[in-house]
Amino acid sequence: MDIISRVNDLLEAADDFCLATVISSVNEKLPLGSKSIILDNGSLENGCGIKDLDDLISGFGQQVLEKKKKQMVEVKEGITIFFDIIGRQANLIICGAGHIGVPLAKFAVSLGFVVTVIDDRPDFANPDRFDHCNVIANDFIETLQSINIDKSSYVVLITRGHEHDKDCLAQVLPCETAYVGMIGSRRRIRLVLEQLSQEGFSDERLHGVFSPIGIPIGAETPEEIALAIAAELVTVRRLGAERTRSLRNAILT
Amino acid sequence: MEDKVLFKKIERLRKKGLGSCLATIVKTQGSTPRDVGAKMLVTVNSEFYGSIGGGCGEKQVFSAALRCLLVSKQPELVNVDLTDDLGIKGGDVCGGKIQVFVEPFFPAEKQT
Repeated sequence: MDIISRVNDLLEAADDFCLATVISSVNEKLPLGSKSIILDNGSLENGCGIKDLDDLISGFGQQVLEKKKKQMVEVKEGITIFFDIIGRQANLIICGAGHIGVPLAKFAVSLGFVVTVIDDRPDFANPDRFDHCNVIANDFIETLQSINIDKSSYVVLITRGHEHDKDCLAQVLPCETAYVGMIGSRRRIRLVLEQLSQEGFSDERLHGVFSPIGIPIGAETPEEIALAIAAELVTVRRLGAERTRSLRNAILT
Repeated sequence: MEDKVLFKKIERLRKKGLGSCLATIVKTQGSTPRDVGAKMLVTVNSEFYGSIGGGCGEKQVFSAALRCLLVSKQPELVNVDLTDDLGIKGGDVCGGKIQVFVEPFFPAEKQT
């Protein structure tokens, strides 16, 4: 199978993988540009057939995946390989197709997210309002149960009422996600989180929810709030959840 | 632009019988606009998708990509120096160096 087709197939799966490309070589068996794939479980595809080299490449590939650091490595004298990490495209699920949802979807699409918008009000969850998005006009919970939520998913809860936000949160919390953020004033958020805590959700998981949502940039209008949320999504994607929290805290103190 | 979009694009162009060239930053030194792994895809009709940092450095890589797509038909490792000016000559102001691997992808029948 052609390596690019294989890369595209793997991109449909959830796990990151390593794409190793020969970028300088003195070995004829390893021409410039030749590629192999190293999966999360260590298995190597499309190797060169020389066992020592394949083992070496597979080992480095696994290290790169573990450390999450793309890099070039001279694996052997005269042979340099670039180990790239290729991952599933980040997807954003927006619950609530209201005033903030519209600009947020627009920002997120241009930032490279695959965006799904959910609302139970067909007038709001209207594809005409959301270019290049997957728009679902249906019950929140039913929809969240039916769509794929995984570790490349970013979930933003901005429905019209806290009851909906709470129900959506309860639905999303058991899933492994990249990000969950919920809108609301500190007081109302506290009430929602307390309620869910009483319902048995772990504090660790509840504290992981980004709330109040968005990087604190003093946002007021729906567009500004959407920008603050989009900035938070980018920060989590690029720097990780922990550093995003430090950034938020640094601004707020 | 996401990697996924670019890899899909390579495949789609190939199916149409068109070649394209992928440029990937494999090493950076000093201050650079994009990190290792940033990619740009250049097509035979000089269209480009994604970015490896913009400015003159990107232009240099763009030319290298077209060269390897149309002339040499071979992959190439390109060194781009962004340190030799302060933007005075219309160059890049970041001040670092990048190494970029450019590799052509041809439609199946043209592959050797």
